[in-house]
Amino acid sequence: MSLARINWRELLARFGLVLALLALVIILSAMSDRFLTQSNIINVLRQISINAIIAAGMTVVIIGRGIDLSVGSLLALTGVVGASLAVGGLPAGVAIAAALGLGLAMGVFNGAFVAYAGIAPFIVTLAGLTIFRGMALAFTDGRPVSGLPPAFMTIGYGSFLGLPVPIWIMLGFLVVTHVILRYTALGRAVYAIGGNEEAARLSGIPVRRVVLFTFAYSGLAAAIASMVLTGRLNSAQPSAGVMFELDAIAAVVVGGTSLFGGKGGVFGTLIGALIIGVINNGMNLLNVPSFYQQIVKGGVILTALLIERLVSARRT
Amino acid sequence: MALLSMHGVSKRFGAVTALQGVDFTLEAGEVHALVGENGAGKSTLMKILAGVQPPDEGHMQLGGDDVRFSSVQEAQARGVVMVYQELALVPTLSVAENLFLGRLPRFVDYGALRTRARTLLAQVDLHLDPDTEVARLSIGERQLVEIARALAREGRVLILDEPTAALASTETDRLFEIITRVKASGVSVVYISHRLEEVFRIADRVTVLRDGALVGTRTVADTNAEQVIEMMVGSSVHRYERPARVRERVVGTFEVTERDLRPVRITLHAGEIVGLAGVIGSGRERVLPCAFGLRGSARWNDAAIGSPRDAIKAGIVLVPSDRKTQGLVVGLSVEANLSLATLGRLQRFGFMRAGAVRAQSRHWIERLSLRPPDPDKAVWELSGGNQQKVVIAKALATEPEVLLLDEPTRGVDVGARAELYDVIDDLSSRGLALLLSSSDTEELLGLSDRILVFREGRVTAELQPPYDYEEVVAHVTGAHQLA
Repeated sequence: MSLARINWRELLARFGLVLALLALVIILSAMSDRFLTQSNIINVLRQISINAIIAAGMTVVIIGRGIDLSVGSLLALTGVVGASLAVGGLPAGVAIAAALGLGLAMGVFNGAFVAYAGIAPFIVTLAGLTIFRGMALAFTDGRPVSGLPPAFMTIGYGSFLGLPVPIWIMLGFLVVTHVILRYTALGRAVYAIGGNEEAARLSGIPVRRVVLFTFAYSGLAAAIASMVLTGRLNSAQPSAGVMFELDAIAAVVVGGTSLFGGKGGVFGTLIGALIIGVINNGMNLLNVPSFYQQIVKGGVILTALLIERLVSARRT
Repeated sequence: MALLSMHGVSKRFGAVTALQGVDFTLEAGEVHALVGENGAGKSTLMKILAGVQPPDEGHMQLGGDDVRFSSVQEAQARGVVMVYQELALVPTLSVAENLFLGRLPRFVDYGALRTRARTLLAQVDLHLDPDTEVARLSIGERQLVEIARALAREGRVLILDEPTAALASTETDRLFEIITRVKASGVSVVYISHRLEEVFRIADRVTVLRDGALVGTRTVADTNAEQVIEMMVGSSVHRYERPARVRERVVGTFEVTERDLRPVRITLHAGEIVGLAGVIGSGRERVLPCAFGLRGSARWNDAAIGSPRDAIKAGIVLVPSDRKTQGLVVGLSVEANLSLATLGRLQRFGFMRAGAVRAQSRHWIERLSLRPPDPDKAVWELSGGNQQKVVIAKALATEPEVLLLDEPTRGVDVGARAELYDVIDDLSSRGLALLLSSSDTEELLGLSDRILVFREGRVTAELQPPYDYEEVVAHVTGAHQLA
């Protein structure tokens, strides 16, 4: 085996995602002169911010060998509750804090069923998906909540140091998630449980509590994303967030986190969200009809996983 | 003319010779026991016969024809069927479906299937509804279903690999009845067992293997347990002695029990290694999981141990028997694995202290001379012996008073094994108390300050050094009952 080949393989395994993103950017900038402009780049970042926030929470769950299908519905529920409280006269800060608290609480609800009742995460959060959606619809009687105080406009449309607030929120949440996963005992426990739950248990790690945390964190992520979306739309829709869970899972797996748990990270998830966002954006610029966009998006996800599989199969 | 004969069978796995020129014959309608210590090559020889793996050298004759099986299907087509230790039934399917698994017609006529199934089950004296899900059967019943399945395939040679390991004694009696009946119908049975009492009860002839070589074949009526044990043990060093050490300080007392294990009390002294001996199914294999709070109930100095966390807090830590599924997160680095049991101590305000983590891994890598000495290496890249060192180091990092070692050298090559023994010896000389559960008799003899022998769910003997190898084997295999 020649040295050059090993280097290539390592390089591909480590930076393959970034290279794929760069390749996409180069291709798209060749095809459209509107692509590589400052305003379009900021546009792409803002567009992916909601998905990237949800996906960061999803990354934590998936590394712990779980899955959270309820995030789209939870986004709708926390949005309408937070918005209603604000419209009802509570200070915006308090309403937002309540919405985030609700997201956390519903995440704990999911996590408790998974960790303490031992029900498969897929099933628990599938139930959550319909329960939270139903709660959002029942709470609003199916109608959107509008007439929000200006604080929500600031979240959706404000900017700071030349960057829109949603991008700052996304970056902040990604950094916090990265720090938790990489530098805290809790984060290391998530990797251990995802990699081998039995070994983690025999090492004295409180497996149930850690699993509960991952779902709570994902719930919080959905609520944060919900506040950004509510600010962007300047209203809260009980029907918001349909299929968001799939976009988030796509960003996580395209970003190289294994659905079997134990490996991956939030940096990859950001790149995954960017790849998906850039493809969407590029196809819009090129006027590709939306039906075809879906086909292309699915194809990209499959291709990314196929490449990942080929590269990792060779390494082991 | 024997029904089956194997000549000069050899098999190597890498550098390890598992079998060396072994001859084996089987008469029609005999029960032929195959015995030997762990690693003697019994299972390998039978896997070759059953078509699971081909031999490197040697040839086989079955019913007068030269045969060479390159798959299990080929062996089964010639009537050679193996019933495995880890039972090969699909628990979610019915008994009838399992009986004909892989041989179901394209369209299933359930009526006919049930009728055929009932006939087969009657042959093994199992009177249950063929529609019963296998998951609902006891281990003993499942074994009988497997034998019925072998008969359904018109088996002429039935290989039973430690069939009584997981059976209660009434179930064992029933199995022996069936074996006798099957034998009367002309089927030959190869019976692999660690329990000599069973061998003398059921077998017509016995073949002994040692270190991959044939020691000899005897007619059971013309031999006795002492002779067989002598053949198993060989003329190697028979007496093992540890230098007598004064052990005064009592560390504590375990009281463990479980469904298949009567209450046992074990008092441990600082620096003492207590060996636990017994075949699988003797209750010996239950003691350490109990003591670590994984099953059954356990008390340590009168405090209940209900979970691994309780145990670790009480200063007890387990090196589990299966390092891949229980000991390690193989995808993570050496350092990450080493820190798993001590996350609490290595953090400050929730954040891992990178310096302390690195210092801990450096310390243990050097102390146990891990190779390569690289904390960032992924664990799956290490050899078996070095992986085991990681598991032991992770456990030791909790600074325990008691170390529970469950089959510490399983799947570890000879060189690394000696190194692990040095590590274990060193730990005891530093005052750690160790409980060592092992199916490797030599390992127990070489390391233990005393040995508790388990049979039928309780301690039947406590042995002190100097040990007599043959005596220990006699206790473990139940041959003492025969004398």
